Order: sequence, then C-alpha cells, then structure tokens
Amino acid sequence: MLGELINPYYLQVSSFILINIILAVSIYITLGTGQLSLGHAGFMSIGAYTTAILTLNYNMPLVLGVIIAAIVTGIVGTLIGIPALRLQGVYLAIATLGFGEVVRVLFINWDGLTNGAIGLSGIPHLGREIFNLSKSMGIEPDMFGLKNNQFISLAVFFVLLIITISVIWFFVRQNNSRIGRAFSAIKMDEEASEAMGINITYYKVLAFGQGAMLAGFAGALYAHLMAYISPSDFDYHRAVEILIFSIFGGSEVIWGSIFGAVFLSAMPEFLRFINEYRFMIYGALLVLMMAFRPQGIIDVNMMNRFKRLMPKKRGEKKHGTGNKEDQ
Amino acid sequence: MSKRSKLLFTVLMAFTLVMLAACGNSSTDDTESADSDDVVKAKVGVISYLTGSGASYGEAITNGINLAHKEITELGEVDIELKIEDSAGKQEEALSVAQKLMNSENVDAIIGPTLSTEMQIVGPEADLNGVPILGTSNTAEGIPQLGEYVFRNSIPETLAIPASVQKAIDKYGAKKVAILYGNDDVFTKAGYDTMKQVAEDLDLEVLTTETFQLGQSDYKAQLTKIKSLNPDLVLASALYNEGAVILDQARKMGIDVPFVGGNGFNSPEVIKIAGDAANGLIVATPWFAKKDDEKVKKFVEDYEAAYGMEPDQFAAQAYDGFYVMAEAIKNAGEADRDAIRDALAEIKDFEGVLGNMSFDEEGDIIMEPTVLIIEDDEYVVFE
Repeated sequence: MLGELINPYYLQVSSFILINIILAVSIYITLGTGQLSLGHAGFMSIGAYTTAILTLNYNMPLVLGVIIAAIVTGIVGTLIGIPALRLQGVYLAIATLGFGEVVRVLFINWDGLTNGAIGLSGIPHLGREIFNLSKSMGIEPDMFGLKNNQFISLAVFFVLLIITISVIWFFVRQNNSRIGRAFSAIKMDEEASEAMGINITYYKVLAFGQGAMLAGFAGALYAHLMAYISPSDFDYHRAVEILIFSIFGGSEVIWGSIFGAVFLSAMPEFLRFINEYRFMIYGALLVLMMAFRPQGIIDVNMMNRFKRLMPKKRGEKKHGTGNKEDQ
Repeated sequence: MSKRSKLLFTVLMAFTLVMLAACGNSSTDDTESADSDDVVKAKVGVISYLTGSGASYGEAITNGINLAHKEITELGEVDIELKIEDSAGKQEEALSVAQKLMNSENVDAIIGPTLSTEMQIVGPEADLNGVPILGTSNTAEGIPQLGEYVFRNSIPETLAIPASVQKAIDKYGAKKVAILYGNDDVFTKAGYDTMKQVAEDLDLEVLTTETFQLGQSDYKAQLTKIKSLNPDLVLASALYNEGAVILDQARKMGIDVPFVGGNGFNSPEVIKIAGDAANGLIVATPWFAKKDDEKVKKFVEDYEAAYGMEPDQFAAQAYDGFYVMAEAIKNAGEADRDAIRDALAEIKDFEGVLGNMSFDEEGDIIMEPTVLIIEDDEYVVFE
C-alpha cells in the first residue's frame, strides 16, 4: 500500500527541487529591483556554515541554527547591499561575484572553524533528527507501514514543502503590497520612481537584504539536508546556476523563477537514460532560450494570457501597475 | 517568433535528437543469464563521475569495472547485472542517483562514488538503507568510518604518504623539509594534513609551508622561498596538473632535491607535461603497471586492447574493486544485502592486480603500497 508508493529517490530529487525553488526566489527578489547579483552562492555558504558551526560546536537545536543562520546572512546581505547601491548592472555583478569568492576563500583559510577545504561533516541531518524526535515521542514508521528511510525522506519532503509554500506565499503577497509595487517601479525606472517619492535607498537595500537572507536560509537547509558541506559546494558555478534558474524561467514574475528551478533541477534526472550526454541538452536549451526567448520562458504576457483562461475570482481587482501575478 | 526562426528551431531540435540517438550507446548492461541454476544473480550499481571536469577519472573507473564485469561473466561463477550512473561530481547528483539505485533499481550493492566528498554524503545514506557500498577511489580520512556498510579498496593518503616519506628519508638522510600544498581542494588539503603529521612523527624540521590554489600557473614566489631555505626534500601535495608545472618551474630555478608527492601526484601525465623535470618525484601508490606479475601483465594487455590506453591507478582500483565485490557475492551465496556486507567484511588476502588485499574491522583496506620514483622519464620501484 502506502509503503510501496513512496520512493525515496523521487522524494530526494523533490527535496533538492524545493531548495532550488527557494534559491530561485531569493535571486528573483534581488533581480526584482534591477540588481544583478552573483553573490548568492556566497550568501548561501554563510547560511550553511553558520548553522553547521552552531549545531556542531555549540549543540544548538537545528531549528534555532537555521533561524540564526538566516538572520546572520540577512545582516551581512544588508551590509553588502548598502555600498552595492552605488553600483549598477555589470559592475554590481562583478562586485558581488568578488564578494562570493572572498567568502569562499575565507571559509577555505579559516581552518580552525571551518576545517578548510575538507569541509564539515556530521552536521545533524534534518530527516534523521525528525526520525529520532518522532521515535522519542513514540511514533514509529511501522505505524504507517513505512520503512525507516521512507519515513525520513517523506518527513524531509513535507517539512521543505511547507517551508517553500510559505516562502512563495509570503513573496506573492509582498509583490502585491506597497513594497512589491515599489520594487517594480524601481526596476522599471529608478529616476522616475525617485521622482514619485519612493525611497530608493531603502527599497533597494531591503530587496538585497531579503534576497541574501533567503539564500542563507536555503543554504542552512541545504547543510542539514546533506549533512556535509565544503567550500567547493558554493563556488562560482553555484552562483551562476542560481541565476540561471531565474533567468531561464523568467525573472519578470515569481512563477517564472519557480518554474526555472523546477525544470532545470528535474531535467537532468529525467534525462538520466542518456547518461553522459544529458548536460549537452542542458546547454543547448540555454542557448536556444537566450536566442528565442531572452526574457525567460514565463513572462508577464504569458501570465496574463494564462489568467484570462482562468475563471475570474472574487472582486476582480483591476490593476494598472506592473504587478500582474496576483492570484 | 517568425516563420524562419521557427524553422531554424525545428532543425536544431531535430539535429540534437539525431545526435543523441547516435551517441546513446554507452550502457553495456548485458544480462546474459548463465546456464546453471546455482549461480548467484545479483545487481550492482555503479556511481561514477562521467560528465564534467573530472570525467577522466570516471571513465577510467567505468572502463576498469566493465572489463572486470566481462571477465567475470565469462567465468560464469556469478551473474552480475551492472547499472552505471553518472554523478557529475556533484554531491546532490550523487545522493539522488544513490537513492535511485537503492530504491528504484533495488541494487544489492554499490560501487563508487568517485570523489570523497560525494562519498561523505552517499555513505551514511547507504548505511541507513543497509546497502553495502565499496569506494574504489576515495582516499580521504574517515570514509570507512561512515558506517558498517561502507568499505573502500583504495589506500588512503594516511597510508601512502608515510610510506613514501619514510623511504625517501632512509635513502637521502633528509632532515629539513619544505611543504607545498594546494589549500582549496579536499584532496590536496587532506594530503597536507598527513604530511604535517608525518613530519612531526619523524622529527623532521619543517622549514616553510607554502600554499597555492587550484589552477594556478605561476609558483615562482613559493619556489623562490623554498630555494632560499635549502631543504633536503620537498613534500608537495598537489594534483598532477598543478604538480607537473611546479616540478618544471622548480627544476628551472635550480631546486634539484627530490619531491615527495601524494596520491594525486601519481599519474603518467606528470612525465608527459614536465618531461625531464619530473625525474626525482617519489610517490607511493597501490598500482604499478610494470610489476612483474602474471595478473598485472594480463590486465594491462586486456585493458590496452579494449580501450587503447594504459590503465591508470583508478582503472586498476575499480577493476580490483569489482572483483572483490563479485567474490563477496559469490561467498554470500545469495543476492542479499546483509549477506554481501558480511562477506565483504570477511574478504581476506584477496589477490588482485594491486596486490594482496584485506579489509580491517572498519572496512578500510589493508595493503602495502609500492613506492615509485621517476627516473629517466619512467616510473621505477624506489629502493
């Protein structure tokens, strides 16, 4: 019955997809104010290392470790965000790329705390912690007809699913709020929005800090999902990968970034039957996308068309501004 | 999209499809059932680094495994079905594919993954699921300690480096050493940790410790300092691409003392890149292709015939690893994960191309490494 249906393989892949969705949303927020950041791998590593060190060396509970990690990364992101205000476009991208590398080299050389290039192992595993907790409360996997590993994978999946849905819900709501409209205005035209009385400094730093915080949060979850991290997990390739999620799926609407993360994380798994050649398709797809759909797969127009097909819901809000993805 | 670009798109996609169809021949899981009924049938999964920057390791490993698989199938003592999967050298991929092998494919045992970092993630999961896993190329410390079901047949740096350093000291009477290592790579960093330990244990005076980064091309700053201190020996923990360049530059600057390298420094490529400058490099390795041994000669011959190149250390380790696994399956007598695990643990004095192998109680390999030195552009046994 239930036991046969649950395959840890699919749950594992889904768990990575969920983390990638959070990362894609984190870059989407930063991109949403027209700031191109390549430092998200760096923020992710700060989150991952913070919670890893706290839980390993100071026996802090996992939940507290993740929350502190997100807060620490948020603070660092805000501090980086302030000087980054002076930079635009490519210059900001290069500066944040540099930041990411600085963080990586710092973790490599801070041997006493981070164990250098060898990395930290034995980080409390999210699933195994839940397993032990539920065992101590008298809940055994057998009660649901599950094996231990199925129970662990399922628990991790549901926890991440709830977290991811909350994150998406929060940012969809924010997009339709005063803050979200300010973000869109800044993305469209900074000078014009300043003339309209929007506090550009505040909103840009807010977006950068939020993006960093979310990336750190995802990094912390990643650390507890893998139970082992090393600086090479968070190199330049990771930063580009995160950016590609959003750019490929479409950085105009949040659903585009989410779609990009789902599609690009799932595709290599679906293409497993052609083994060595699957990443060629990955590359070919990116080239084709850039040639024919530079705004990403899902853009505002597509969302509008999609919405017209959907039955209209209560109240029918009329919206004139750039935010069109409200439900 | 205009009509023309639509056409272009279609043509491109069609082209991609044709190319893929032409390329998709790599899986060689031939499952000929043996004649007699008493042969053990088992399914072994392989996780290998087949795409990306380290694909050459994965290729050597899968070649070694495929060769061993072919020979064992011909012998007909066990009937093993192979399932080779790619990890792209990424931890997430390795974990996903391990889950796939364990839960979707229901394999009885796993060989791989290639990198120690991947094993750090996959090992505990395999242990939790009760699937025996044998690493054939993981040299970092603490791998077999990940769980009862985790084994390896590759010698760790903690075994290889002391052997080579000891021999070099015996021969040259070295007292003062300089250490040079890559600090941003797990492999070279682990090698350095061992070197430091060895230097302490053997009461060597460490004149200086210099670092470099992966992909660096100019080592003159570090080498100038080393030269000015006049060491008797240089301990260098580097991968062969960087290592060969270091040797070349060191010799040009006039540093002519012997170099002792780690496991990653051991590759025929060093001689190809550095030429004469490679002379005087000492490495300890489990694998020596020119060993005067029937098994080794046959393996080298067959491997060259099948793949057109000389087997390296990774191919040899994978080849032996698969034989060890087949032996364990045969001894277990059934395709049961726990039985295979117990049979693996009991493997003793197995004669492979690497030499005599046994597992200790933790699942780590017990084997004597061979110490080699490069002389006249060739690896020879260092006496």
